[in-house]
Amino acid sequence: MSFPHLSFYSAFTLSSLGLAFHRTHLISALLCLESIILSIYIALSIWPIENQATTFTTMPLLILTFSACEAATGLAMLVASTRTHGSDHLHNLNLLQC
Amino acid sequence: METALLLNTSTLLTLITILTPTLLPLLSENFKNSPATITRTVKTAFMISLVPMTLFMYSGMESIASCWEWKFTTNFKIPLSFKIDQYSVMFFPIALFVTWSILQFAMWYMSTEPYIMKFFSYLLMFLIAMLTLTIANNMFLLFIGWEGVGIMSFLLIGWWQGRAEANTAALQAVLYNRIGDIGLILSMAWLASTLNTWEVQQPPSHTQTPTIPLLGLILAATGKSAQFGLHPWLPAAMEGPTPVSALLHSSTMVVAGIFLLIRTHPMLTTNPTALSTCLCLGALSTLFAATCALTQNDIKKIIAFSTSSQLGLMMVTIGLNLPQLAFLHISTHAFFKAMLFLCSGSIIHNLNGEQDIRKMGGLQKTLPTTTSCLTIGSMALMGTPFLAGFYSKDLIIESLNTSYLNTWALLLTLLATMFTATYSLRMILLVQTGFTRIPPTTPMNENNPTIINPITRLALGSITAGLLITSFILPTKTPPMTMPTITKTAAIIITALGITLALELSNMTHTLTQPKQNPYSNFSTTLGYFNPLIHRASPSTLLNSGQKIASHLIDLSWYKKMGPEGLADLQLTMAKTSTSLHSGLIKTYLGSFALSIFIILLST
Repeated sequence: MSFPHLSFYSAFTLSSLGLAFHRTHLISALLCLESIILSIYIALSIWPIENQATTFTTMPLLILTFSACEAATGLAMLVASTRTHGSDHLHNLNLLQC
Repeated sequence: METALLLNTSTLLTLITILTPTLLPLLSENFKNSPATITRTVKTAFMISLVPMTLFMYSGMESIASCWEWKFTTNFKIPLSFKIDQYSVMFFPIALFVTWSILQFAMWYMSTEPYIMKFFSYLLMFLIAMLTLTIANNMFLLFIGWEGVGIMSFLLIGWWQGRAEANTAALQAVLYNRIGDIGLILSMAWLASTLNTWEVQQPPSHTQTPTIPLLGLILAATGKSAQFGLHPWLPAAMEGPTPVSALLHSSTMVVAGIFLLIRTHPMLTTNPTALSTCLCLGALSTLFAATCALTQNDIKKIIAFSTSSQLGLMMVTIGLNLPQLAFLHISTHAFFKAMLFLCSGSIIHNLNGEQDIRKMGGLQKTLPTTTSCLTIGSMALMGTPFLAGFYSKDLIIESLNTSYLNTWALLLTLLATMFTATYSLRMILLVQTGFTRIPPTTPMNENNPTIINPITRLALGSITAGLLITSFILPTKTPPMTMPTITKTAAIIITALGITLALELSNMTHTLTQPKQNPYSNFSTTLGYFNPLIHRASPSTLLNSGQKIASHLIDLSWYKKMGPEGLADLQLTMAKTSTSLHSGLIKTYLGSFALSIFIILLST
């Protein structure tokens, strides 16, 4: 496997595992989400250079737009949960628990 | 021309005479039946039936009388037709003679019976059914007579219905006869579907008949005539009164199976498999019954096993392709067997109900006529030269020895002939001779013409019937004329051997040697272990397998394990497993992300 591929895969995997296995705060989950988006952005940027396909050069721009919206939504939810529950601890989100 | 008219008219007149006691009380109010009128009716019918017999003997005329036709469907018609041929013409007088004697005897034997009128009407109905069976030209009428004799046998065996053994014996008779009826119905169905007729003279006799319907007929004969395999009902049928045993289970009903095979003989001739089956089955039955009769102590059971053994001999004759000889044996056997039963009835009543021969003895001095006729009957049974049994039995043994057949069947039949002599002589010696073993205060009196006349009449028949029948009826197949001396005298020599054996056996009573228990005597005493094996084993196997299929297989396994409840159990297990995942915590949902990442990693 070439070096960019390896780095991309490992960054993506580590970030996803980080998303899954955080413990306490919502903000660490959001940070991991950002790193997932970052690794995907870098992979999408490298890909047209490697494959000499110029049509996909505009793809990172789209990803960037979506990630900005998504980060804004995540932060808004963080603020909302802090306002209602008083902190961003994850064990507060237990409305569906039986 | 008028011979035919006279033949048909007199035969029909015989039948109508028999039907009279059943019809007349319905027609007029002040006509009441009584045992004496029924006996007189049967005597008149016997006299009338001598007319067709004489006509047949004189002119050899046979006829078929069709009265009416049941138009069942367009191409399958069942006529009410009577076949008046040598078998029915000879059987009518013999059956009526024997029945007349038995009815006369029954007037004395059952004189203290409160329902004696019902008894006599049952016997009359039995006679009607038997004569219907004999004169039937098609299987439908024969089946009516067949079922009729079966039902009357059931009613008459269980006559003393307060006795549990009598009810069991009657039920046993009906069940075993029913198993034989399966074979008869199978043959009738095959006949109706293949040959489109139920007449007995229509099947073509030049090609080989398929074996299946013939096996059905042989099964019917096995059931009705107590061959080995369906035989236990005949010794058990001795629970009925002695006139019943004399009429049904010695002369008339049990020969119905053999008579069926005689009637359908053209079908049997062409199939050697069926003939060999008859031969081996008959040989086995005759030896088995003779072995069982050796150690019996009840006088009626000895005579019952003797009947069973002679029926096996008749079956052997059918297997030898000699139906006329089988019919001759039926005719002569009727006389001496009925007489043996009537003598035993007289002995039993005179000894106040004692049936065990170990408790009889020395009766020759006290009941001279009865015991003389007992001796005559036993000697006729053994085939003493020139008595009735000789003409049929000796011919059968000679034909056996000179035909190309299964040696095993021959050996068994010869052995059974020896045993016949043995048990007959044992019975005579224990009952009549020696010191008396009966209680001293038994009032014995046989000076009643109602007892003496029937027995002496039948004794006269046993002595002369063989000679008369063979003189007047020509054989249709050539009997064997030349054979070596030892073959000719084989039957006599074997009978003499049997007599010697019996004399040796009877010494045990005089010298009071204890009979030791060895496997052979145990086999004979317990009737070959057949009854306990079959009567327990087959019902319990059937019921067990029924329970397995119905309850265990269907209810427990299909419904509980496989079908509805099994599916429900599977769902339950899976539902229990997945409940722990549905907890409502964010941690679990995010854990599913990790699961998908692992799956992606593994797939690349």
